Amino acid sequence: MTTTTTPHGTDLGPAGSGLGTSRVGFGRLVRAEWTKLRSVPRWGLIMLAAVGLTILVSLLSAAGSSFQRDSVAPPPVGPHGGQVEDAFRFVHQPLTGDGTITARVRELVAVEGPDQPWAKAGLMVKDGTAPGARYAAMLYTPGHGVRWQTNFVVDRAGTIARGEPWLRLTRAGATVTGYESTDGTTWRRVGSVELAGLPATAEVGLFVASPRADRVERQFNATSVTSSSTWSTARFDDVAVRPATGQPAANWTDEAIGMTGLAKPTAPGAGPAAPAAPGAPDGLDGPDVPPVALVSGAPDATGASTVTGSGDVAPRAVDEDLTRMSLSGALIGLLPIVALGALFITAEYRRGMIRTTFAASPRRGRVVLAKAVVLAGVTFVVGLVTCATAFLVSQPGQRESGFVAPLFPDRSLTDWPVLRAVVGTALVLALVAVLSLALGTVLRRSAGAITVVVLLMVLPQMVAGALPLTAARWMMRLLPSAGFSIQQTNPRYEHVASVCLPEAGCVPDSPWLGLAVLTGYVAVAVAAACWLVRRRDA
Amino acid sequence: MAVRAEWTKLRSLPGNGWLLLALVVATVVFSALSVSAVDIARCPAPTECFEDTTRVSLWGVRVAQLAVVVLAVLAVTNEYANGLIATTLAANPRRGTVLAAKAGVVTAAVLVAAVPGVLGSLLVSRIILPGNGFSAANGYPPPSLLDEPTLRAVTGTVLYLGLVALLAIGVGTALRDTAGAMVAVLVLLYSAPVLVQLVGDPKWQHRLEKAAPMTSGLAVQATTALERQPIGPWAGLGVLAIWAGAALLAGALLFRYRDA
Repeated sequence: MTTTTTPHGTDLGPAGSGLGTSRVGFGRLVRAEWTKLRSVPRWGLIMLAAVGLTILVSLLSAAGSSFQRDSVAPPPVGPHGGQVEDAFRFVHQPLTGDGTITARVRELVAVEGPDQPWAKAGLMVKDGTAPGARYAAMLYTPGHGVRWQTNFVVDRAGTIARGEPWLRLTRAGATVTGYESTDGTTWRRVGSVELAGLPATAEVGLFVASPRADRVERQFNATSVTSSSTWSTARFDDVAVRPATGQPAANWTDEAIGMTGLAKPTAPGAGPAAPAAPGAPDGLDGPDVPPVALVSGAPDATGASTVTGSGDVAPRAVDEDLTRMSLSGALIGLLPIVALGALFITAEYRRGMIRTTFAASPRRGRVVLAKAVVLAGVTFVVGLVTCATAFLVSQPGQRESGFVAPLFPDRSLTDWPVLRAVVGTALVLALVAVLSLALGTVLRRSAGAITVVVLLMVLPQMVAGALPLTAARWMMRLLPSAGFSIQQTNPRYEHVASVCLPEAGCVPDSPWLGLAVLTGYVAVAVAAACWLVRRRDA
Repeated sequence: MAVRAEWTKLRSLPGNGWLLLALVVATVVFSALSVSAVDIARCPAPTECFEDTTRVSLWGVRVAQLAVVVLAVLAVTNEYANGLIATTLAANPRRGTVLAAKAGVVTAAVLVAAVPGVLGSLLVSRIILPGNGFSAANGYPPPSLLDEPTLRAVTGTVLYLGLVALLAIGVGTALRDTAGAMVAVLVLLYSAPVLVQLVGDPKWQHRLEKAAPMTSGLAVQATTALERQPIGPWAGLGVLAIWAGAALLAGALLFRYRDA
């Protein structure tokens, strides 16, 4: 194809060529494009369809979901205000004033269920034994080495990854400091925390936790996640509590914190309950408790101890993301917007209007940019109103479907994660509109542009269920559909294993990273469009 | 006469040939992808996979049908876009005949292209499946056309693509606009499978799968555990046929009583 006009940098003629000046201001270009966009009634209808579909699908998914509470007791709330898991075996004694506790973790093995990389064995200083109470802990995990964790959400790695590490916690006033050592003589500080309001007498001791095992069975487009409790046993030795003043307490208390849920009452006639071994703590007599857990864990005279525990000390992972659910309609409402974006340029090609446009404004790249600005602005504003409406109207439906406090606290539009999701979804819609516009410019056909955008944005989630887990995860991260990860509002913690299913729309990245991926695609497409319109005949 | 005219229009656009080729290739490629994703190692026991190997082998049409939608929509809307429709109707003023001829030719082309796509998918899956442990020894005989359920799935899938073409022609005739018609058909087809993953309640999932054109139409691919499908194989295809018929009827009525 030969280029008959050389638009870039070529003035139409002398200053008096009828246009006043050949360099049309960008503001005037934007105004011209805005006039075009609003003067086609059909496009208004398409926009309306997008609004209607988004809200309708959001309402449907709120009404069509259900949540059955499996436990009656509300989960404990941690010092950060969020819901937490606080269940573990705690062999502890009171420590008044400043002091130190030291122990060596000899081994930590799973005794029931599969190995858990985030099983925990170590030392803890805790403000009493009530679930959710603040704490500081030095611990060893089989999969992630030595960690310093406090108050459920803070997690920092030590340097020792394997072996039989020495751990130490030191309390000075309200400050607790954690140390690790490979030999018991040279100590390295891993972290320290000020536990505000820690009473003079705190509980210190050994703890073992073993999180629930999630087993994902993906049988072709049908995924089931089963979760079962696991038990791990840790062997400690050289356990020593040294108060700054006075003698350590003589007796240890062996307690199963927050594990009462495990001790299910046996149904009548379901067989005899496992006999409680002497020395077993309260609440550990259910049928799910392995016999090894009943052995007393208090350190003997030489400071050696074996402790078996289950549960987890971590923020509670919530699978259901209600905000995402209330904005899920955008995935379908996006389709009319894709059509609008493509039509905004292909209609001009079809009607020959593009020649008039380019004659009026010979700098073609700027025409494309002006179109993008107008389209993105309009879509963003409409999308924002739509998403906010979708969020608000799907709240009652979600409550009716069983998503109620305390597990699912009420959320307002002004909460930051919700606001981020709503504004972010509007941004995604605007970006997709521009992507469609750019592809429409490149292909000059609405059918082709729509097909490509739909393949990139809507199909990944459908295809995900048919791919192996790793492949599906990478696809969800790398394709532009990753932009929808901005809808995720549940906080994710590195130190909590979570099942992130791509077919459920979960992207294992931060919300903003996904949006950045989409933005990257849009930028490349717009650049290609600008380059091509300048090179090509109109 | 009208059929010959439509056939000439269809074959003289190079894009249509590419779209039919895309249908074949996409069916085989995406089917192969899904077949290679199933593995007996992920099942509790080799004989307890309960995997419907025929259904997995024909999975690619879910993506490949996009080509059918584009082809069928464009067959109608392109005439409106470039004004050819005025010539067509001047040559043959009986609009019902024109629409019937167009629908017949496009659907026939889709059916003809669907056969190699579907058979190719089956062939590829016969090559890949044993490598993933789905061998006759484990109780998974390779999908064969000699089995009645597999034959039903294969014929049903070909018919499914034909019905999708009819649906798209109906919508295209009713809306007359490429972008609008494409998006309308895509919303009809894909909103249900996306929604099913969003709603958690199995009751709602079943309702959706029963009523929506794509999920019900593809029920014809099931060869095992039929009682657990939302709808029977032929009944499901019937639901899609109702959708396609309704769209065609709406298109025909509008075509008949509207200025071109």
